[in-house]
Amino acid sequence: MSEVINERIGKEYKAGFITEVDSETMPPGLNEDVVRAISAKKGEPEWMLEWRLKAFNIWKNMKEPEWAHVHYPKIDFEAISYFSAPKSMADKPKSLDEVDPQLLETYEKLGIPLHEQEILAGVAVDAVFDSVSVATTFRAKLEEAGVIFCPISEAVHKHPELVKKYLGTVVPVNDNFYAALNCAVFSDGSFVYIPKGVRCPMELSTYFRINEAKTGQFERTLIVAEEGSHVSYLEGCTAPMRDENQLHAAVVELVALDNAEIKYSTVQNWYPGDEEGKGGIYNFVTKRGVCHTNAKISWTQVETGSAVTWKYPSCVLKGDNSIGEFYSVALTNNYQQADTGTKMIHLGKNTKSTIIAKGISAGKSQSSYRGLVRMSPMAEGARNFTQCDSLLIGDKCGAHTFPYIESKNPSAIVEHEATTSKVSDDQMFLCQQRGIDPEKAVSMIVNGFCKEVFKELPMEFAVEAGKLLEVSLEGSVG
Amino acid sequence: MLNIKNLHAAVEDKTILKGLNLEIKPGEVHAIMGPNGAGKSTLGNVLAGREGYERTNGEVLFNEKDIFEMDPEERAAEGMFLAFQYPVEIPGVSNLEFLKASLDAIRKYNNQPELDAVSFMKMARETCKAVNLDQSFLKRGVNEGFSGGEKKRNEIMQMMLLQPKLCILDETDSGLDIDALQVVAKGVNDLRDSNRSFVVVTHYQRLLDYIVPDYVHVLADGKIVKSGGKELAHELEDKGYGWLDNNEVA
Amino acid sequence: MSTTHNYIQESIELSEALENNSPTAWLSDFRKMQRIKLEGATVPTRTTEHFKYNNLTALNQGGLAKFPESPAVSAELPSLVSSLEGDTIVLIDGRFDSSSSKISGSHLVAFHEANEDQQKTIKDALSRQNFAKNIFNRVNAGLTHSGWLVEFNKSVDYRPLHIVHITTQAAVDSVINEQLIVKLNSMAEATVIEHFVSDNNIKSGKTISHQSAHFDIGDAANLQHYRLHLEHSAHIHFGQCTFWLNRDSQLNSFHLATGGIIKRIDLDVIHQSNGSHAEINGVYLAADKQQVDYHTNVEHRTPHCTTQEVFRGLIGGEAKAVFNGRIHIYPDAQKTLAELSNKNLLLSNKAEIDTKPELEIYADDVRCAHGATISQMDSTAMFYLTSRGIPKEKAKLMLSFGFVNELINNINNDAIVDYLQPLLTQFFKQTVTE
Repeated sequence: MSEVINERIGKEYKAGFITEVDSETMPPGLNEDVVRAISAKKGEPEWMLEWRLKAFNIWKNMKEPEWAHVHYPKIDFEAISYFSAPKSMADKPKSLDEVDPQLLETYEKLGIPLHEQEILAGVAVDAVFDSVSVATTFRAKLEEAGVIFCPISEAVHKHPELVKKYLGTVVPVNDNFYAALNCAVFSDGSFVYIPKGVRCPMELSTYFRINEAKTGQFERTLIVAEEGSHVSYLEGCTAPMRDENQLHAAVVELVALDNAEIKYSTVQNWYPGDEEGKGGIYNFVTKRGVCHTNAKISWTQVETGSAVTWKYPSCVLKGDNSIGEFYSVALTNNYQQADTGTKMIHLGKNTKSTIIAKGISAGKSQSSYRGLVRMSPMAEGARNFTQCDSLLIGDKCGAHTFPYIESKNPSAIVEHEATTSKVSDDQMFLCQQRGIDPEKAVSMIVNGFCKEVFKELPMEFAVEAGKLLEVSLEGSVG
Repeated sequence: MLNIKNLHAAVEDKTILKGLNLEIKPGEVHAIMGPNGAGKSTLGNVLAGREGYERTNGEVLFNEKDIFEMDPEERAAEGMFLAFQYPVEIPGVSNLEFLKASLDAIRKYNNQPELDAVSFMKMARETCKAVNLDQSFLKRGVNEGFSGGEKKRNEIMQMMLLQPKLCILDETDSGLDIDALQVVAKGVNDLRDSNRSFVVVTHYQRLLDYIVPDYVHVLADGKIVKSGGKELAHELEDKGYGWLDNNEVA
Repeated sequence: MSTTHNYIQESIELSEALENNSPTAWLSDFRKMQRIKLEGATVPTRTTEHFKYNNLTALNQGGLAKFPESPAVSAELPSLVSSLEGDTIVLIDGRFDSSSSKISGSHLVAFHEANEDQQKTIKDALSRQNFAKNIFNRVNAGLTHSGWLVEFNKSVDYRPLHIVHITTQAAVDSVINEQLIVKLNSMAEATVIEHFVSDNNIKSGKTISHQSAHFDIGDAANLQHYRLHLEHSAHIHFGQCTFWLNRDSQLNSFHLATGGIIKRIDLDVIHQSNGSHAEINGVYLAADKQQVDYHTNVEHRTPHCTTQEVFRGLIGGEAKAVFNGRIHIYPDAQKTLAELSNKNLLLSNKAEIDTKPELEIYADDVRCAHGATISQMDSTAMFYLTSRGIPKEKAKLMLSFGFVNELINNINNDAIVDYLQPLLTQFFKQTVTE
C-alpha cells in the first residue's frame, strides 16, 4: 500500500494566480535610506522612524540563525524589495467603493469577499496586499463595541499612545535576526485593541497576500486585550506561484492583560513551491504572547504552505494561573521543510500549558517539531503537557522532534510524549474492505490524526483546514 | 454466489492454499474448521483482497464476477464483508464517520442515493443496541481503546449496518467470553435469510452451537479434506484434528 | 577567577610533551592529528548546542592540564572488587596496579604491549569515534598514552571483566586519560564492568578524567555492560562510550552516575547491521551543587533493529542534571522499533533538570516513541504511605527506590545490585532529609 500512497504525489495550489495590478515597488536593497523611505511613505511620526532606525542598526550586526533543521540557499537581502503597494492605494481610498476592483476581485477569487453583505456573517476582515492594507470590513460595527481593528499603519497615527505602549514589548527589537529586520522595515499588518471587559462581537481576521515578485513581506500584528476581554483572531496567507523564493518575515505580538483571552488561529497556505522544490515562500515568523494573571492565549495553526517554515508561536506565562495553548498541524509535501513548534515560558504560579503538535510528512519533505518548555523557579505548581505525533506518508520524507525541557521548580510537572507512525497497510485494508477508496481513506486517516487540533479552530475554518489538507495531499495516493 | 475453484494462494512466497474448492449458494452457512496453520485466515484475506496475499492459481467468482479483477473496495461494494480476526484501530477517525463513509461508498456503487444524516443516525443507534454496544462507541475512534470483545462486536455491528451479501467471519469467536459470543451469534442469526450467505471460519466447535451451519468443511494443509453436515463439527471436537491425520489425510 | 586559562590549549601542550618519551610512539601521528584539529579551540560555552546546559567554568581556572606526578602506589579498593567473581584490572590514577589486579587469559592487552596487528585494531577503533559532537573526545584522543585492548572469542566462557579506575589524592589538580577497546568477535559473549571511584582518603582538590570506551560487538555476539561513575563530588569527568552493533548482536548496557563538578558521559549506540538489539538503562543522581549530564545518541542505520532506552534521574540540593536522548533513524532503517523514556524527580527547590529527547526519523515503516517527565515525588503516594503510619522520611526513601527499582531489579548480577543498594540508600537519605 505504501507504494500506492507514494505514487502520484503532486498537488494543486489553488491560490497561485498573479494579479495584474500597477504597483509601486521600491528598488531592491536595504540601507538606512530605505528604512527612512518606508517610514516617509507611511507619513510616520518621528518616534516611529527612530524605532525603525534603531532596529536596523541592531539587525546589521546580527547573524542569520542556522540552528533550525532546514536547508536553503543563503538569502541575499540586497536583492529583495522592501516595499510594494498597488498604485491605486496611494491616495488611501475612503471606502470599499473606492478600492481598485482588481484588488477586490483577488480576494474574491481566494474566497474572501470584502463586501460586507457577502462576507461570512460575524467575521471582520483586514486584507493586506503586499505592503499595504487594502480594506478592513465591519469597522463601524466594531467601533460600537469599542474594539479597534485597523491597519497598524493607521494605528500609528490614530492611536500612537497604544502603539507606543505595547509595540516591541513582547518581541523586543533585538529578539532575533528576522524580528529585528521586521522592526526596521515592517510595512503593514493589523492592530487590534479590545477594551476592558469587552467580548469582541465577531471573529477578526486578516488575509495576507503576497503578489509582487522579488518582494519581501514584513507584516506586523499587535493585539492588545485589556482586562477581562476576549477576542478570536484568524489569519490566512496565500501567494502566487513564482519560480523564485520570496521572503516573509512577520512579527506578531499578543498582550493578554488580567483575565483576558486571546485565541489566535492561523491557516498558512503560502505558495509551497512546485514538485521539484522550485519557488515558494520562506516563512520566517516570530509570534509571541504575554499572559498576565488568569489570562489565556491559545495558538492554533494549520501549516500547509511555504517552502521553508521557521515559526514558533510562544507564550510567556507571566501572571499567576495563566494558560498557554498551542495546537498545530504542519503538513509538508514534495520538498517543503518546516521547523515549527512553540515555547512555553512558565513564570507565574499555577500556570498551565498544553502543546499538541501533529506533523505530517509526505513526498521528500522534512517536518520538525522544535519546542521549549521552561519552568522557572517561581513557577510553583505549574503544569505542562506536550504531545507530538508524526505521521509519515512514504519513505522519502523525514519527521523530527527536538523538545527542550527545562525545570527549576520541583512542584512543577512536565510531561512530554512523542510518537511516530505511518498510515498502516492494515488501516488502509480495513477501509477498503468496507468499500472506501484509498484516496478517501488516507484523507480520513490524516484528518483523524489531526482531529485534536481541528476542533480548536473556529467552525468555518476547521472545514477549510480539512479541505486544505485534502488538497495538499491530493495525489499522494494512487 | 461464491464459487472457488482450485484456489492456490501464497503469502510471502510461501504457498498456503493448495487447491481449494468450495461452492456457496445464497442463504447457506458454511463453517470452515481446521488446525492452526491450515490456511483458514488466508482464505478470508485472499477473498477480501488483502495486499500480500497472492492468488497463484485457480479462480474465484463472486456473483459471477472474477474477484481478482476487483480492488478490495469493489469487492466490498459487491457485497463481500470480512469480519477481521484482529480488528484494526484508526485513531481519531470516529466509528460514525467511518460507517457513514463506508455506507455512502457502497450505496453509491450500487446506484442508491446517500442516506440522509437522520436516517443514518437512527440506523447506527439501532445496530449499536443490537450488539449491546453503548452509543458512545459511535463517537469513539474506530476500535480505538476497545476491548477485544468490543472490537468483535463492532465488526458485527458494521456487518449489520452494511447488509452484505456474503459475510466472512474470520475467527470472530477467538478471545470472546460466552456472553459476547452469544451477542455475536445473535447478530449473525438475525441476518440470516435466503439471499445472504456466511462463511464462518473457526478453530472451535463452540461457536457452531450458536450459529448452526448447513455445511462444515475441514481445512488442512491448504485444502478442504473433509466436508459434511453440522455433526462433523462435533466429531472434530470429540476426536480432535489429529483424528484427521490418521484417517483421511494420510 | 584570577586569570583565564584555556584548558583545551593547555591540553595540546600536554599532548606535545607526550611525544618526548612515550612508550606508545606508534600513536604519535594519531595524537598529532588531534592537536592540529584542536588548534585554536576553546572550552565550549552555553552557545555550543551540545554543551548548552553545562557550566564548564571550572576548566578555565587552570592547573588541571598535567599528568599526576607520582601516582599513588596503592588505594583502598571498592568492595565490589572482592564480591565480584571475575578478572579485575585496577588502574590507580591511571597507572595499572598489577598487585591488586587479577588477570586470567591472554585476551587483555595493555596498549604499550600491543603487537602490530593489535596496534592497528587500536588505531582503527580510536579513529572511528564521533569527534564532531563533543570536543573532549578529541582532547582525550590527543592525550592517548595508555589503555587496554580486550578481545573476546566465541565458545569461551569468560569471567566478567571488572575495570576499576581509582583516583587518589596524588591525582588532584591533574588529568587522567584512558582508553578501552573491546572487541567481541562473532558469537562471543562477555560481561564488562567499568567502574570509576575516588579514593576515600581524598581530602580536597579536584581531578579531571577522560575515558573513551569503544565496543565492537560482532555478529550474534552478546555484550553485558555496566558503567558506574561513583567518583566524589569534586571530580570532573568526560566520558564516551561507543557501541558498534553488528548483525543480530545484543547489547545490554547499564549506567549509573552520581554528580561531580561536572560529569558528562556521551553514549553512541550504532546499529550498523540488521537484527541487532540494544537495551540501555541509566540512573543519574545529583545533590549539593553537582552537575551530571548524559548525552545518548542511538543511530539506526539498518532495518529490523530495536532499541529500548530508559533513564531515570533524581536531582536534589542545588544540583543540575542534563539528559539528551537522541534517536536517529536512517532512510533505510525500516521496521525499526525504538523507544526512549526519561523520567526525573526534582527533590529540592534549587535543583534543575534540562532534558531533551530527540527523534530524527527518515524512514516511514518504523515505530518510535519517546517520553519525558519532570515532577516531584507523587504527593498522593506520599499521603497514602504516611496515612498507613509510615514516617515521612521512610516514605520518601521508599518512593525514591520505587522510582529506580525498575532499572535496578533488571540488573542480573547480584554482586552489582548488592553494591549499589547501600549507595542509593545513602544518596536518597541525603536528598530526602535536606
